[in-house]
Amino acid sequence: MRVLKLWRYPANWAIFRLDDRLLLILMAIIVGNCSGLASVILNRSLLAMSEWLYHFRSHWWVFVLPAVGAALSSLFLEKVVKEGAGHGVPEVIYSVSRYGGLLRFRSSFSRLISSCLTIGSGGSAGPEAPVVISGAAIGSNIAKYFSLNDRQRVTLVGCGAAGAISSIFNAPIAGMVFAIEVIVGEWKSVNIVPIAIAAVAGTEISRILQGNQIPFSHHLFKFDLLNVFACIGLAVLSAAASILLTRTLRSMHTLSHKLSGPLWLRAAIGGCAVGIIGLFLPVVLGEGYQTVEALIGGRYSQGLAFVALASFAKIAATALTLGWGGSGGIFAPCLVIGSLVGVTYHHFLSLLWSSALWANEGYYALLGMAGLISGMLQAPLTGIFLIIEITGGYEVILPLIVVSAVTTTLCHYIEPASYYLKDLVEHGHLLRPGTDARVLSDLNVPELIERDCIIVKQNMLLRDFVHIVQKSHRNYFPVEDDKTGNFLGIIHWDDIRPYLFNPVMYDAVFLGQIMNTHVEVVHPDDDLLEVLRKMDIKGLFSMPVVMNNRFVGLISKATILDRYRKELMVQTSH
Amino acid sequence: MKLTINEVAQCLRLPVTTVDRWIRQGRIPIQKSSNGYIVNESALEKWAAMYRLPFSLPKKVNTQTQAVRLENLLPAMNRGGVIYGIKGDDVETVLRGAVEKMRLPLGTSKEKLYQCLLEREHLTSTGIGKGVAIPHPHDPLPDTFEKPVITTGFLEKPIDFYAIDDRLVFVMFILLSPSIKFHLHLLSRLSFCVRDNAFVEFLKTCPDSSAYFSKIADFEKQLDRADNS
Repeated sequence: MRVLKLWRYPANWAIFRLDDRLLLILMAIIVGNCSGLASVILNRSLLAMSEWLYHFRSHWWVFVLPAVGAALSSLFLEKVVKEGAGHGVPEVIYSVSRYGGLLRFRSSFSRLISSCLTIGSGGSAGPEAPVVISGAAIGSNIAKYFSLNDRQRVTLVGCGAAGAISSIFNAPIAGMVFAIEVIVGEWKSVNIVPIAIAAVAGTEISRILQGNQIPFSHHLFKFDLLNVFACIGLAVLSAAASILLTRTLRSMHTLSHKLSGPLWLRAAIGGCAVGIIGLFLPVVLGEGYQTVEALIGGRYSQGLAFVALASFAKIAATALTLGWGGSGGIFAPCLVIGSLVGVTYHHFLSLLWSSALWANEGYYALLGMAGLISGMLQAPLTGIFLIIEITGGYEVILPLIVVSAVTTTLCHYIEPASYYLKDLVEHGHLLRPGTDARVLSDLNVPELIERDCIIVKQNMLLRDFVHIVQKSHRNYFPVEDDKTGNFLGIIHWDDIRPYLFNPVMYDAVFLGQIMNTHVEVVHPDDDLLEVLRKMDIKGLFSMPVVMNNRFVGLISKATILDRYRKELMVQTSH
Repeated sequence: MKLTINEVAQCLRLPVTTVDRWIRQGRIPIQKSSNGYIVNESALEKWAAMYRLPFSLPKKVNTQTQAVRLENLLPAMNRGGVIYGIKGDDVETVLRGAVEKMRLPLGTSKEKLYQCLLEREHLTSTGIGKGVAIPHPHDPLPDTFEKPVITTGFLEKPIDFYAIDDRLVFVMFILLSPSIKFHLHLLSRLSFCVRDNAFVEFLKTCPDSSAYFSKIADFEKQLDRADNS
């Protein structure tokens, strides 16, 4: 019985009296291992799925396969686990912003199954985002089980994401940087250390189970300064491709939402369209890692027009899969599109200026991948480290940095928020730690209410009121109805100043006559951002808080400043 | 010493809800377990210093909030006593006569006190009307007096005190206090009494001290009632 109780409340274990950092590192190892395992499982099941479906490839009706897969995945998400489609990364960022990284347990497996159905059947999507969300959900639920607080939970969510990315790409630094740059958004040692440990754990698990292999190994490139300059053109091109992909994804999403009909039917329509494209251009199907490998290795012998067409087709197929309700991420499609764009650019350059000594097409494919990842995620560091690690190509670091930086800047110029963050920013849900929006969303009206106001009655004479003024500390006096106790209005010191020194008025004026009835009031549930906006517009310094017609207290800018500063100090400084 | 969450909130001068939220968000080094909070006071102090938040234990807060209760008129008047028949024809001689007769704490320089009172008189007269004057030094005398003292002095004959209503002054309340706060408090109470015409008429009869003090006690009661209502 005692043992049972011990397992029921693990927060009571002595280990939790340990140092906070040490505890997080221990947890990070567990989380990293679990999320690494999840990504290995997805990887294996995708392989098994494609092997199993290989026999059907020769049939004429093969184009319905993606439709069936997408429809099944949509049905599974909607009916069985009751979760939304899409790639899930914004969901993780949203929960980190608003709910301290609280995620449902079922998220840790739901996306694995649905994306396996979508991608395995040929849909154009990536397995990374589903792995990220399940890793994050594993981290969150482990934190919940051990009753950790929000900050620790957010770190563990980051650990889960880091472990997942590290494991699926065999790329520990990329996993770490992705988790910090995109998911957590806070470069602090309290976060970085556990996330790094989780990345190591995730990578190690994948290496033990699948061997230490670099996903897209390549030959050594030879390139000179000319190619470094040429890559600026590639950056522009990949920025254009990123914008195109973002825009098509969003327009497909809105288009599919205009259609009435069940979700699974929409997903099936999208999948069917992908299947038809796939009949002519099989390159667009699935996560496309073989394609990337062929492009980097220079084994892709098609001409300029075909590669350019393939890039567009892949963009369309990705938009059709994800926008119409399939499940999966944009990481892998980005890699495929990027390498296609890079090879297109290389063909274009050699056509334009065949005498120059261009580096081979693998070099440009690699840079294109970095460009697309940086452009879509608007996370240059993730792009740089991911490409270096998955290709093992440290010698291209210089042009890689140039492409990543230029693409990110260009994309940021046209689309201020990245694909992941766009919806969140539009709805005001992106709350990075230490920002104004975060502080204001953490503080709430009930915490700021000042209750030491003296409430007066409507039928009180000014003479009695003068005595009350003598005793009060405040300039505001709320007025209540005699019988009902409802809030009627407020008297400010300024309202009575003209009458206060005229004793003749003392017995002639009732408070109901001088009170201000047209006052802006605040409800305790109001958003502080909204309250402050009201104050700014009307030039107010205090507002009464009223709930169910009853006066609760006063909220003032002075108190807000005090609390805001304390909150900011606690959130940021060290 | 074990601190409760309420006490922690008091130390930080924040509402309990904020402290509760900080614990949930992991911003404050307090852990929540199934049987309550685990508060480590020294860790908490260190944390507050690191984030430069004000943090002081509730004991100190209590002593600060316990305001010194201001003394009323009667004890001060008892200490100062009543003087009858002060001689003189002008402000200077009257004040000097009053100071000479006053019971003062040991070591007080009567000359210095007289100079202080006279200096104040030169700024503007302390004759507040109806034949009453309230001489007092311009600045409080915290070194000389630990507690406020009011000496009531009846003049032998009314003199011209340059009072605001030009009436001749027949009674003085010499008000000596250790701080401005006491001074204003007593001045406000005293002026309440003097506002009553019957009281001024009563003073004109040069009443003996016991009758006078009982009258003051009545006023005090009225004032207290008004304060508490």
